[in-house]
Amino acid sequence: MNLIFTVIFVLSAAVLLFTAPADFLPALLDGGMNAAKTCLTLFCIYVVWMGLSAVAEDARLTEKAAKLLSKPCGKLFKTQSPAALENITMNVSCNLLGIGGAATPYGVKAIDALEKEGNEYAQNLLFIINATSIQLIPTTVIALRAAAGSLAPHDIALPSLIATAVSTFIGAALYMLINKFKFKAARRAKCST
Amino acid sequence: MQYVIPVIFIGVILIAAVRRVNVFSSFSRGAGEAVKFVLNLMPLLACTFIMCELFERSHLSDALSRLLAPAFSLLGIPSELSKLILIKPFSGSGSLAYLTQIISEYGADSYIARCACVLYGSSETVFYISVVYFAKCANKRRLLPIVIILFATFISTIIACLLCRIM
Repeated sequence: MNLIFTVIFVLSAAVLLFTAPADFLPALLDGGMNAAKTCLTLFCIYVVWMGLSAVAEDARLTEKAAKLLSKPCGKLFKTQSPAALENITMNVSCNLLGIGGAATPYGVKAIDALEKEGNEYAQNLLFIINATSIQLIPTTVIALRAAAGSLAPHDIALPSLIATAVSTFIGAALYMLINKFKFKAARRAKCST
Repeated sequence: MQYVIPVIFIGVILIAAVRRVNVFSSFSRGAGEAVKFVLNLMPLLACTFIMCELFERSHLSDALSRLLAPAFSLLGIPSELSKLILIKPFSGSGSLAYLTQIISEYGADSYIARCACVLYGSSETVFYISVVYFAKCANKRRLLPIVIILFATFISTIIACLLCRIM
């Protein structure tokens, strides 16, 4: 992130210096304003969903849901931590249900639990799954199309589903493959020494 | 679909009440966690958004998309969409604004607009998510997964444009 931030910041600032130097400070301030707005929106979403998830946790509902999926998830993510497993399963199920707002807090909790385990592999895999977004119904887009007078606002649902499934599959498969190669190379290096 | 969320809320709260959980104090404990979570996130998000704003305002994103348009059209992606593809990983609100613009310019049922919708619905703001997810991690340098995600999203973009042609 450091490298990306520095490069993009310096390049963009340099271009602005020559084209529109008066726009530089307003751009920065607008960025800050966007961050504040986003934080407020996020706060509203997370207050609701984390509140509900705390109730579900205290009613020991998440524990049960996690037990159902913990075996396949444990294998996929190579983790034994029950806290991480519970949060991973909740994250994945919320994603599938299309409630991304609820998925994120679980995802972050899972990442934190995996950090204690030192399991960077599972962290990255979970990140990839979330950032390639499995979504069953793209509600925002359908609403937008309906508002714009589309005759069949739903007809993009199936192509969207296929596209997200493909990107999630490619992302996860590619990462697991690269990781396997790394693991093999590391083992070979150990054997030869 | 609109029934799912209310049903989940009612179900969870009813089950909790039956199991003698103090629903009010549990809910407020969760809400308290949300406060900490967002406060933790705020400085990181500020950096990300400032970067995105600069990138857009300097018209670097425009220049880059113009540069990439020929390569995109070679892969079957309409050149009108190159800017959306470039903005999406950086900014959710920016790409949403651009999507609305495309829909009103070309008409909701045009090929370009349908492609744009599928693109928008099937990708995420990668940089933002990486900030949120790895906020508390010691290792914040996750170049490999970001590259993989951008690659996977790009492949699905090509497929999406193809699908919109057939379906």
